[in-house]
Amino acid sequence: MRQPEIYILGGYQTDFARNWGKEKKHITALMRESVLGALEVTRLDAKDVEVAHVGNFAAELYCRQGHLGAFFLEADPAFEGLATSRHEAACASGSIALLAASAELEAGRYSLACVVGVEQMKTVSSVEGGDYLGTAAWYEREAKGVEFPFPKLFGRLGDEYERRYGLKDEHLARISAINFANAKLNPNAQTRTWTMNERHALCRTEDNAPVGGRLRISDCSQVTDGAVAVFLATREAAERYAQRRGLSVERLPRLLGWGHHTAYLRFDDKVRSSEGSPYVLPTVRATITDALRRAGVRDVSELSAIETHDCFTTSEYMAIDHFGLTAPGESWKAIEDGSIELGGRCPINPSGGLIGAGHPVGATGVRQLLDAYKQIAGQAGDYQVEGARRVATLNIGGSGTTSVSFVVG
Amino acid sequence: MQLPPAAPSLAADPLLQQRPLQHVVVLGANGTMGYGSGALFTQAVPKVTFLARTREKAEQGLAGAIRQVRSPTVADRVRCGSYEELPEALASADLVFEAVTEQLELKREFFERIDAHRRADSIVATVTSGLSIDALAEGRSESFQQHFLGLHFFNPPNVIVGTELVPSRFTRPEVVSFVERFSDKRLGRRMVLTNDRPGFAGNRIGFKLLNEVAQLAEEHGVALMERLVGPYTGRALTPLATIDLVGWDIHRAIVDNIHALTQDEAHDTLRLPGYMAKLMEGGTLGRKSGGGFTRREGKERWVLEPKTGRYLSPSEIKLPRLDFIAEVAALHREGRYREALAVFADAPGDEAALARRVIAGYLSYALHRVGEVTEELSGIDRIMGFGFNWAPPGVLIDWLGPKVAAGMIERAGLPVPPALTAAAASATPPRFASERHDNPGRYFVAA
Repeated sequence: MRQPEIYILGGYQTDFARNWGKEKKHITALMRESVLGALEVTRLDAKDVEVAHVGNFAAELYCRQGHLGAFFLEADPAFEGLATSRHEAACASGSIALLAASAELEAGRYSLACVVGVEQMKTVSSVEGGDYLGTAAWYEREAKGVEFPFPKLFGRLGDEYERRYGLKDEHLARISAINFANAKLNPNAQTRTWTMNERHALCRTEDNAPVGGRLRISDCSQVTDGAVAVFLATREAAERYAQRRGLSVERLPRLLGWGHHTAYLRFDDKVRSSEGSPYVLPTVRATITDALRRAGVRDVSELSAIETHDCFTTSEYMAIDHFGLTAPGESWKAIEDGSIELGGRCPINPSGGLIGAGHPVGATGVRQLLDAYKQIAGQAGDYQVEGARRVATLNIGGSGTTSVSFVVG
Repeated sequence: MQLPPAAPSLAADPLLQQRPLQHVVVLGANGTMGYGSGALFTQAVPKVTFLARTREKAEQGLAGAIRQVRSPTVADRVRCGSYEELPEALASADLVFEAVTEQLELKREFFERIDAHRRADSIVATVTSGLSIDALAEGRSESFQQHFLGLHFFNPPNVIVGTELVPSRFTRPEVVSFVERFSDKRLGRRMVLTNDRPGFAGNRIGFKLLNEVAQLAEEHGVALMERLVGPYTGRALTPLATIDLVGWDIHRAIVDNIHALTQDEAHDTLRLPGYMAKLMEGGTLGRKSGGGFTRREGKERWVLEPKTGRYLSPSEIKLPRLDFIAEVAALHREGRYREALAVFADAPGDEAALARRVIAGYLSYALHRVGEVTEELSGIDRIMGFGFNWAPPGVLIDWLGPKVAAGMIERAGLPVPPALTAAAASATPPRFASERHDNPGRYFVAA
């Protein structure tokens, strides 16, 4: 049976530089601004939306608030009665919400879905927030009593590359510098006004303090408040949408393929299970190849760009060879030859990624999809990849545990 | 130092390609605006020269720049020197950025020296926040005048992106468009093209409100005014705390200058309150002198009583019930900005009326300045939003609704701008705020 087509009608991202705690706002305000913003840019009517999904990691911890689906009704009274739910898979929460929405559309239950990814993280100190993030690992065994557990886990991803293939800090610094440089082109990026460059990333002083093993501040993604809303539609709803706006439905970006797998929660178990594989995280590799296969994409050479999960420079380093831009263990080649820069063979994170644009945990997967959409629709402004035709995303929860990839085109 | 290549979108920009800036010379690099701007230039220009009276002072500026942006890498692109090295530095300067003390004669002396040694195609920019660009260009060579303009960054430039660009009547249009594009695309600025009027756009409109609140504090008290024109009205920092932060002397210089050189419908609101002048004689300058409208006493914050010059302890300050502020803030907290402003517009009581008078004054004054300080309201909106971090007038009008906004101005006894009168009468009023996707909710703090 031919897979029903899923269309992306557009969406809205809040400015990730905002600190909603300083504004003294509740998480409902974040959701509300993203949903109303998305309705405005797409000129869709709230009453046409049939189902809504929220991706969020830990509002119970950060904001002492659960049951986020119900907050759709606070955005517009026309949402009263809407079918809503909330999804969690750590930093992949946003993509899980997208998968759930697209599955329902494919099943023919609904024709128009709204997906919101949202996280408000600046409600607590960085140490306390780091502890909350530890629940995305096996908390008791890997995070309890550990200050900033995640940089340490992803530092160990670097160590594993070092052990198997060798790894140089200068390549990680370059990844950091490219993401920060791209972020300067993105008006919604958290770090767009920051002073960051390759020399800073190479600093081995307190200006760039170590946070976990080989990783330093410049290797890390940001603590971010943000929300992103997008609309997904069936072919039928997309045709209606296009017709009313005088657009061609064939030119609307679509979700061409998806991949989704889960590995052991503990980092040690993942590494043990991948012994003998050329890939350090084989389930991530399977997620990517599934997405490419379902999209009918032969390999990475048919991608115009990638929005990947650079929660740390080591995770982007991993993504480079797992996407097949280089042979396993040779990610450094694509860094050295400029392949992943804007203007390169396959730019990675034109938006600035999680390091440059920011990482509101539950919103990231949806932000990646919206940026992929913008690339295909030619709406990415200064970070536009010229003539982008297919863009892949990779969103990872935990230390490489739950991974989701989409191909948009 | 290896840098990622400029993004293709920028590399292809013919305007930016026209003048690849390789060397910027900063004069007055030891001052906060000098080194703050200097740090900004290092983000996009390979060589930045910091000049001050002595090399040591320039080096202090560099240290300040490093502290401000928290990156020692700034030093990679900076060399420091004294003004004796000015001729040599100017020989290769593509842009000369003047940030010396805010005195007309002093700046003119520097411009004379720059004029004598600059390359004919180099751009000269001044960071002045109040002096006339035309007056600064007076007496200079034709080439200097054609390449000279005001580039008014706000302090600190690494945080505040709103920037005014002020051509003189001699400046070549292509110089203006280049600096505008470069500052926008390479320095991440939000640019506002401003006319050469006293205080330009931001300070003219911003300090009018600040000064009016300082005037009203004499009768109504500091604590009440700060509460009434507080964050819930669309600002991160309350008005009198802002004056304390910028310094009373700076505040006086700005409002005196505007008051002396302009005549407009709100002229009296720009007269410095007498109590401020008196207290300044005793050394009160705001934060830098240890106190202004408020002063720290141990763990408490004591508040100035303008009439007596005394500071009142928290237990001596009695504020009336201000339930409407709590109600407005609660709606902001949920992101219901329009509803919040509707509550503000309808709130009963003298205090609410006083708060509305100040906001109405802001809207009326801003709209009356369109055509004088900027060509469009969008420029004023941008500088109030990105320079002052205040809700832009256009956003307030859109969310109040033009009819409500016009009524608010009328009830305050202020002139209603014709554009607002027309919009209020229209069945399909135009949108006043023209910038989209700028997250206008950010300005409304739930407090």
